[in-house]
Amino acid sequence: MSMVRSEFRKVTTTKVLLWLTIATIAFSALNVVLLVFLTPRAMDLGSDVNLLLDPAYVTNILGAAGSSSIFILILGIIGMTSEYRHMTITSTFLVTPKRPRVLIAKGITYALLGAALGAIAFLTSTVVTLIALSKENHAPVDLTVALQILGGVLLAFAIYAFVGVSVGALIRNQVAAIVGALVWVLIIEALVTVFVDWIGKWLPGGALDAVLQTTNVSGRGGSDILPTAAGVVVLLGYAVLFGILASLITLRRDIT
Amino acid sequence: MISLTKRFGKVQAVSDLSFTAQPGRVTGFLGPNGSGKTTTLRCLLGLVQPTSGTTQVGGHDYRELPNPAAVVGATLEASGFHPGRTARGHLQVITDAASLPSGRADEVLALVGLTEAAGRKVGGFSLGMRQRLALAAALVGDPGVLILDEPANGLDPEGIAWLRGFLRARADEGRTVLVSSHVLSEVQQTVDDVVIISKGKLVQAGSLGELTGAGISQVRVRTPQLEVLRAALNAEAGSGARVNVVAVSPDEIMVAGLEAAEIGHLALREQVELHELTPVGTDLEALFLELTGGGNPGGAA
Repeated sequence: MSMVRSEFRKVTTTKVLLWLTIATIAFSALNVVLLVFLTPRAMDLGSDVNLLLDPAYVTNILGAAGSSSIFILILGIIGMTSEYRHMTITSTFLVTPKRPRVLIAKGITYALLGAALGAIAFLTSTVVTLIALSKENHAPVDLTVALQILGGVLLAFAIYAFVGVSVGALIRNQVAAIVGALVWVLIIEALVTVFVDWIGKWLPGGALDAVLQTTNVSGRGGSDILPTAAGVVVLLGYAVLFGILASLITLRRDIT
Repeated sequence: MISLTKRFGKVQAVSDLSFTAQPGRVTGFLGPNGSGKTTTLRCLLGLVQPTSGTTQVGGHDYRELPNPAAVVGATLEASGFHPGRTARGHLQVITDAASLPSGRADEVLALVGLTEAAGRKVGGFSLGMRQRLALAAALVGDPGVLILDEPANGLDPEGIAWLRGFLRARADEGRTVLVSSHVLSEVQQTVDDVVIISKGKLVQAGSLGELTGAGISQVRVRTPQLEVLRAALNAEAGSGARVNVVAVSPDEIMVAGLEAAEIGHLALREQVELHELTPVGTDLEALFLELTGGGNPGGAA
């Protein structure tokens, strides 16, 4: 518990969390705005169909909260790698020489932060959606579905932040870890999903989408995804797997 | 307090080294740069895994200590600070992890004279201030053992004087203080015991008194006829006596291995005019350099 408090202190005494919170809010709002004002109009050109009258599409707009997941992954990665970058890992391991405990404390801390950012993202997307739709003709917002989205975002962001911590523990170089994660999520996994989607759903991003249940927003339209519960297990599995690999390989390395 | 034997690394950084630091005394851990001091201390602190051998602090492996901050306080050269964090924030991260009240941060900042800088970001700190902050971090848990790697680096003369008094006071409280340095003169006035290593091997361990007993006394000689005297001294050296002559300036030399009277006698015999003939006692620095291989660092860090 004291270690989790220490991790909270670490993250609240620097600026990273603030910037990533701003990014999360901005990106969620931007996605809502695009979904409300751009996409239906573009679709309108050829036909009279107004997507805003489709309840599924309105649900999808709320799901924009999940679009900022990449910032959550980066938050977790920075949380771990900045210790190596600034060599504060020395004093961290001096206070806690049993190193896997540091990883666990960080995992818990960042999962909580991820959930908090998930709540912020959901709040943003909901408020912006209600404002944006206020002058439009639209299908009603289903409260039950909205709550499901909230639950998905909280859970997905919590686990995803933990994945970030584990990735950061495995790849200690901050730039390499962030670039690697971006390349994986935006390029490699996207390609795999397009060409062999039965593999794609088992990958971290696929599992994330399963937890979020927002395939349309992330562009995974039509491809099949795991059930939510399975997604939770798979995503958590990646976090734990990377964490164990890090404990066996990089975490035990000499600090010089 | 510390009993440690180990070898380490692909490069033999530390070979079969054993020594102990005692409570209530300041132990100087000395050696040239790259002699393995930092590696040894990092093994001791559980940051580096020894190839073989064990290290103990107060009878325990560091990694087995339930709350290390309350037992050992350490500063290490490369230990870092997040530039965006304040001095107080840096310390409170540690007080939290060690289950100490966060008010302890301000207490130790006062101890090292950083109260005014408590709310400032470490990114703007001078090297000397960072050293003080590192020292404050070591003191947070009020530990009985202090292990400080080159704590005098970056301190101004005033800071070094302060550090000496500070370390002395900690030892007088009964704590074990282990201080590393590559300059003997830096710690000479503070340490009770010395452990000298070179190329990862133990060269000398004992009290400072024992070391000075084995020391070389030197004589400072000033003369306008330096070359004549030098030739005579070298001739004396050639006859078997262990004489070492070091030129200081065009008219001044330091002579080791001969008493002042002997040099005076030699000068009289050679009819050399002397301007100064002063015994300067033990030159620990010369001894140190001799013990550690003439200050020529070999091997890896």
